[in-house]
Amino acid sequence: MALLETPQLGTVDYSEETIVEFAEGLPAFETQTRFVLVERTETAPILFLQSLDNAELCFLTVPVQAIQPDYELTSPIEDLRDLGIDATTQNEDMLCLAILTARADRPPTANLMAPVVIHRHTRRARQVIQTDSQYSFEHPLGAEGASSGC
Amino acid sequence: MLILGRRIGESILIGDNVEVRVVDASPTRVKLGIVAPRDLQILRSEMRLAAEQNRASTVVIAEPAAVARLVDHLRTYTTDPRR
Repeated sequence: MALLETPQLGTVDYSEETIVEFAEGLPAFETQTRFVLVERTETAPILFLQSLDNAELCFLTVPVQAIQPDYELTSPIEDLRDLGIDATTQNEDMLCLAILTARADRPPTANLMAPVVIHRHTRRARQVIQTDSQYSFEHPLGAEGASSGC
Repeated sequence: MLILGRRIGESILIGDNVEVRVVDASPTRVKLGIVAPRDLQILRSEMRLAAEQNRASTVVIAEPAAVARLVDHLRTYTTDPRR
């Protein structure tokens, strides 16, 4: 086990095998390649994507299915091959997370266009940008967003 | 916007130092080869949007109350019976 002191989550303990590796980092954070997922009961269903390279860097994420139960990745399988994902990979072997954005002046949003895809077994991950998808960078999570779909 | 037709293998020149060549093309995808000075940043345009969004997403972390609000929001949202 290893420990990381973070300003936002306090002490995070993790083991080597739970490290998620982003070979290319994430857009705007290309040098950050190693992360861990942290879940706390008091903040469920949020999964904190905590950088191990920079303790101050942490994303709030949530599984895309929590926002859109019928969510589908539109990214071609070839783009995920280096994560260990191919046509035979089962959905339950992949974790697909939407990064959340909260601002003081408007409802929070979820980035459904560019989800973080993690292979649960290889622990390799990438933020996939699906420009040809119907999903938005800023899918609203507010009451307004929920009711507009009805 | 200037629009030019090019075949595979043909290229265009931008200024004195940049060449963009069409390497391959299919009905849904075009592969481009770019020759440019090392110090010139070349980005897929969606990467800039993704980068801006990611930067905006990290701002909330500094404020625990904002995280708590987000959690409340999310719990209401995901258990909303209308959905």
